[in-house]
Parts: sequence; structure tokens; C-alpha cells
Amino acid sequence: MVCLILVLAACGHHEDAHLSVPQKLKKEANQPVKYTVDVEDQLAGIKKVLVQLGDSLEDFYVPARTTQLKSFPCSNCHTDTGLKPTGKPEKAHWDVHLEHASIQTMECQTCHDVSNPEQLLSITGKAISLDHSYQLCGQCHSEQIKDWKGGAHGKRKAGWAPPRVVNTCVECHNPHKPAFEPRWPARLNTQSLKQDKE
Amino acid sequence: MENSKNQAHSCGGQCSCGSKKDGVNQVFEKKSDRRGMLKQLGLGFFTAAAAVNSSCSVTSGEDSKAKADMNWEEYFKGNYKLMSKEERLETIGRLERLYEVNNGTKINVSSKDAHQDVLYGYAFNISKCQGYMDCINACVQENNQDRSSEMQYIRIHEHQNGQMNFENADDNFFHEVPASGHFYMGTQCYHCENPPCVEVCPVEATWKEKDGIVVIDYDWCIGCRYCMAACPYDGRRFNWNEPQVPEQEVNKDQHYLGNRLRKKGVMEKCTFCVQRSRSGKNPACVEACPTGARIFGNLLDPESEIRWVLENKKVFRLKEDLGTEPKFWYFMD
Repeated sequence: MVCLILVLAACGHHEDAHLSVPQKLKKEANQPVKYTVDVEDQLAGIKKVLVQLGDSLEDFYVPARTTQLKSFPCSNCHTDTGLKPTGKPEKAHWDVHLEHASIQTMECQTCHDVSNPEQLLSITGKAISLDHSYQLCGQCHSEQIKDWKGGAHGKRKAGWAPPRVVNTCVECHNPHKPAFEPRWPARLNTQSLKQDKE
Repeated sequence: MENSKNQAHSCGGQCSCGSKKDGVNQVFEKKSDRRGMLKQLGLGFFTAAAAVNSSCSVTSGEDSKAKADMNWEEYFKGNYKLMSKEERLETIGRLERLYEVNNGTKINVSSKDAHQDVLYGYAFNISKCQGYMDCINACVQENNQDRSSEMQYIRIHEHQNGQMNFENADDNFFHEVPASGHFYMGTQCYHCENPPCVEVCPVEATWKEKDGIVVIDYDWCIGCRYCMAACPYDGRRFNWNEPQVPEQEVNKDQHYLGNRLRKKGVMEKCTFCVQRSRSGKNPACVEACPTGARIFGNLLDPESEIRWVLENKKVFRLKEDLGTEPKFWYFMD
């Protein structure tokens, strides 16, 4: 009888004690948070645009690209000939080498609008602003765009606190050569090496 | 929020929840009486010493007296956790003034408390980390870590694909990265929900803040290193020597519980850069990571990135069977 009471008492309370942090969060922390902290002051001077995927506006931002690009608008250089290529197009922007996908999949015109270089083109030929270039990347990289939208891919600007401004794809990846280059580590952990030798 | 309510009640009886004061608090209270007595006793001795000192040097008398005064007060101050708001501001004022007197430059020490409805969490993408080690450099600079012993809070381990045995991992790699057939994994303090390091501290010099950050009062730590032994994750570091940071490299934006300068014989560790995170910024490692492998945010916010990762990616933690509940998850693309 005593045993039974003890067993019942043990089962009766502290149900929450068995929940892990993620389980507890799912159960208890599902209301929007009113923040008393933000990173607006750190975002000062960064022009941000609301992200738009498909037809819906998202609730996060990317920094505007058109205000950052040195060679934008194109008419800065193309003063007399206009924006339409006059000579051989392969000689234009000779320093850009495409190391992205095979030539079967993409060439310059897959993303760039030759008749209006100040905008990009979707697969179906619809105009995409340089500020919203993630829409272009997301056409093929659907997994990455899903993770980027959720927050598992990419990088926040400023901090963790609102508003959510994230790097757009081309701030980390060179669109013409998107893979990260191998390089040497920023430092050597010499102390552990020293200890190993002792 | 239920979660934060629970935390408030585990405060050890310092809140207004009316719970009985436990043994440790009784000891603390007694100690403050003893401190007061010591203060009074010592004051006579100190005045005499100061008089001798100032009679020897007329010019530096005032300065050194003020400095000795501040050092005295610093020596007998209490545990940060038990300090009133005024006492916290007083000690911070002294620390800032002492640094200025000693070095001629100003520092800014914060005592900013945890924000409401914030519980910090961290996620690390092992498919993204390439072993560039930029995080470690940023961490060392941000947190004023000892340059002479090359103190580092973060370790990057190079694992062979297909296994995750830390005994076989290379922690001292120095070659072009990423090496083919390998993946990289960073470890640091995981800010456990049930931190064993806090349990074992005999003087309550380390505790979990309301926003989940496990902190250390460097001036209350006695350097027994019990916490270092108790941590199953190699998250804690000890200052065997007086930490050396070149004056021009000192990060002047500091927090009492974060990156303020430590001394010989005390513990330290990652604080999720409390001086940054409590003002909305990301920890230095997150900001420095060139691959976006590090994700930081508020676990209590269902809209946050960290919550999205927890709910949509396959995540795991190290040594989950210990029940320490680290707030640091690993995941893959």
C-alpha cells in the first residue's frame, strides 16, 4: 500500500522535469516576444529592402545592392554608346569569368538582361531587380533559399535582435564563382602544439 | 512566461518569492557583518598607512590615497549576485577609475541585466564550418583573453568524415582548409540549462543568469577549479598567470560578468559575449564567421532563426545523456 502511494506520488508531479529544453520551448514559448532591445542604431546608414518571395512579402530585410555597387547604374561608364552592346559581347567585362555551373546550364544571359543590364532576368524572362537577386538564385537553389528564409543558411546583419536584416546571397557568394575558396586558417593554435611537444 | 517564472524561483532565495534563505545565503549575510567589522578595524590601520605614504611623497599623495582607497573597497566588496544596484554601480565606477589611474585610458564597464523574455541559444552548422578559425581571433580580441598563454574559449576540431570521436580529432591542424574528407566542429561553453559547473562551485562565484548565460564573478572566484573538473565539455579556462593584454588591444567596451580584465588565479570562459548580446548584437564569433556556420538568437521567440533551426533541421547536442541540457546545438545542411 505504501509502495503504491509512493509510486502514485512519484508519477503525479514534476511532469515538466522530464522535458528537454526544445520540448519545453515548443510547449511553453510559442507567443510572440515584445522586445526591449533592437539593433536599429547599428543598421543606421544601411538601406534595407523587404524580402519578397513568390507573391508574398516576408517579414525580414536584405540590404539594398544598388546603393552598394560601384559600377551601378551602368550609365556611369556607358555614357555615349548607351547600354546596348555595340561590339562583340564576349569582350565586355572581360575580367568576369563564369565558374558557376556548366555551360549547358548557364551563360551570362541566363541571369543578365542584355537589352537592359540594369536588371536581371528570371528563367521565364521576367525582370528581377538587383536588390532582389536572391529571387534569381532561389530558382535553382531551392533548398538553400528555404534555409535562408528560415535562418539556417546565411548571416544576420548587425545582431540577433530585431529588425531581421540578413545578407543577400551575393554578399557572401560571388555570383560568377559562388564556391568558397580554400585558404589557410587565420591562426595556428601554437599553445597546444607546445604542450604536445613537452 | 512559464520558463522565466521557473528560473526566478530557482534564484536561491534572493528574490521576493518568499522562500526561506538557504545555508549559503546565511553564510553570505554573516560574511557581510564580518566584512563591516573588518572594514572598521582596518580603517585605522589604513589611515595610518596612508598618512605615512603621503608624508613621503607630497605630489602623488592624493592620487595614491584615492587609489589605495579604491583598491581597499574593491578587496572587500561582495558577490555581484548579491549586490544592490547602487553597489554594482559603485564597484563599476571604481573599476573604471582604477583602470584610468593605472593606464591613462578610459574603459566602459556595463552591468546591464538580462532582457525580459530572452533565453539565448546557439546553433553550429557542421556542414558549413571550414576551419578558417576567424572566430577564435575575434573571440580573443573581443574578450581580452590572455595573450601570453594564448587563452582561447573556442576550439575547432578537425574530424574525419564518417566519425565524430574527439580523441581522434585534430585540434592543431594548420594546412589549407577545408581538408578533403574532413569536417570541422567548434566547441566552447554550451551554457547548459543544468550546468554542473554551477552546482559544484563552493562559493557561488558562478551562476546561470535569467537569459541563460552562465557567468563568473571574477572577483569572487577562489580559483579552486572544481567547475573546470565538473564541466563535461572542456568549456572552462583557468588563468595560471597574470593575463597579459597589450593596452592598445584592450577592448574598452566591457561587462562586469563578461570581458573585463581578469587576474591571476580565476576561472573564465565564453559568456556568449554578454557585453554584446545584451545590447542586441551577436557574439563576436558569430559576427566573424565567414561561412555563416554560427547562429545565435532568442529561444523564447518562436519567430527566431534559432527556433527555426531547432524545429526544421536535424539537430543534436554533445553528451545529451548527461542531462546537462546544453543550449548549443549542432546541425547539418
